[in-house]
Amino acid sequence: MAIQGSEQVIIRDPALFYWILLPITIVMILTGVLRHYATVLLASPPKPPLSLVESRERQALLRGINLRNNAAAAITSASFNARKEYLIDGYKKGIFLKGGAESRGQAAQNPMSDPAAMEGMMGMMKGNMAMMIPQTLIMSWINAFFAGFVILKLPFPLTIRFKSMLQSGVMTRDLDVRWVSSLSWYFLCLFGLQSVFIFILGNENSASQMAQQMGQMNPGATANPFGPGQDPDKMFLAEAENLEVHEHWSVLDGTEDRLLQIYG
Amino acid sequence: MAATATNLSDPAAVLRIAQKASPILVKASSVSTSFPASIFNSADSSELWREVEQLLYACLRTGDDESAFLCVERLGKRFGEDNERVMAMRGLYQEAVATDEAALRKILEDYTQVLRENPMNVPVHKRRLALLKSMGRPQDAISGLVKFVDSFPTDIEAWCELSDLYESQGCISQAIFSLEEAVIITPNAWNLQARLGELEYLAGTSSSDNTENQQHLTQAVRRFSRSIELCDDYLRGFYGLKLASDKLLGAYSESKANKDVAIAPEKLQRLSQLATSKLEAILKQRTSRRSSAGYDTEVLVVQQLLDGSKG
Repeated sequence: MAIQGSEQVIIRDPALFYWILLPITIVMILTGVLRHYATVLLASPPKPPLSLVESRERQALLRGINLRNNAAAAITSASFNARKEYLIDGYKKGIFLKGGAESRGQAAQNPMSDPAAMEGMMGMMKGNMAMMIPQTLIMSWINAFFAGFVILKLPFPLTIRFKSMLQSGVMTRDLDVRWVSSLSWYFLCLFGLQSVFIFILGNENSASQMAQQMGQMNPGATANPFGPGQDPDKMFLAEAENLEVHEHWSVLDGTEDRLLQIYG
Repeated sequence: MAATATNLSDPAAVLRIAQKASPILVKASSVSTSFPASIFNSADSSELWREVEQLLYACLRTGDDESAFLCVERLGKRFGEDNERVMAMRGLYQEAVATDEAALRKILEDYTQVLRENPMNVPVHKRRLALLKSMGRPQDAISGLVKFVDSFPTDIEAWCELSDLYESQGCISQAIFSLEEAVIITPNAWNLQARLGELEYLAGTSSSDNTENQQHLTQAVRRFSRSIELCDDYLRGFYGLKLASDKLLGAYSESKANKDVAIAPEKLQRLSQLATSKLEAILKQRTSRRSSAGYDTEVLVVQQLLDGSKG
């Protein structure tokens, strides 16, 4: 613990600044930029349906969900019931399924053997890997070369609680909290550079997604309600049940009264 | 059936956009996508390309085919000629400059060919159906669209277009069904609600059965009310509300024995009065700033309706 009122003085070699502080900062910024471009490269956009029947299978479910959510604000009971009957019948008989009604009984494909589902999982893994690998590499690099250096003195006093945050890798009990070790500087860079990246790469990094947006007429068309490994038939049956228990009311009933009230 | 973002129904606005052709095109051509330059160039934004797309539509409508061609070229260069939307836009341009029936038929064949290779090409699919419609083959367009919405049942544009086609063929109930599908997807679109009201009104004036007419007209009144509820000063909604409520009153008076009416006659009268006063207010507002807006058909039609109801 530092003695109150007196300054701890550590004579640092100025080379510490040029050979440790600066390199760590630059490397962290560069890896951040690199990681951004790596994720852009690795990211696989949601795959559009491959055939008309597949698109129908996906959108049939969305249609049911839309009906359930929006029917109250859109249509009368008669129209709702007609649509409900049609959709429930279709869901139960499986006519919306990709393989037609005959393909119902077949067990869902193992996601590990289905290449499309596999790709979805690989996409997630690739994203995680792009995060993890550089971090492990750089941390071991810093541990190997720069462990135990005190490289920086903060210009303001801090409480003792910050000791573990600012002085990891330096096991001295009496060192003032204001001194920052190299490993801690790495952590500070890791978590604190977000705003720098936003400055360098632009907010939201919209350029990467643009080509994708241009590719599709309506973004909803490629949305896939089925996660990898989910059985469409089961989802259809669940949706049929949801529709069956749905109680319909219509916003159209009594609009004229409401209108008269507003302007009355 | 083209994607319209801003208000492209107003001819004056379209002309204004089309006159901006050269600065937008210059901006678009300065965008570089090759590696070293692309880092320093922030102009490559999605807004710019949306602008170019709108410019394309505006130029086609105002007859500026050269600028339209440049737009298509720029878009093709940026997104590749095999991009689905770019393909559809190129087709649109070709349709616009086609001089005779044979050329159009050639384009239609091209579309069919593209779709045979990739049936999932939605923009080209839509272009093909729109071309069928503009070539005067609504039956083919309808059957094509029915297949289309079977595969893409959450496509609003397609449902609206199908509804229009059905209406043009006189199949009002099918038209209503199609538009209801569109409304289910976007329940708060007041223009669709009003459009549904118009279709219900048509259905209510076409059949000979009085009770059925009353049902349709009641629906029409409610749809128009809903559209006004969603959008305060929606001229089309008030116009329809006035027409429909007056018509429904007439239908009531024809069948005197009918007791279980959905909307009481006095309420209808109040609705009609409300619509009239609102229409007058809107009319006054619009004519006062008419000098800037210029010639406005909507205003004239409303004027006619109000004059007719007074006389």
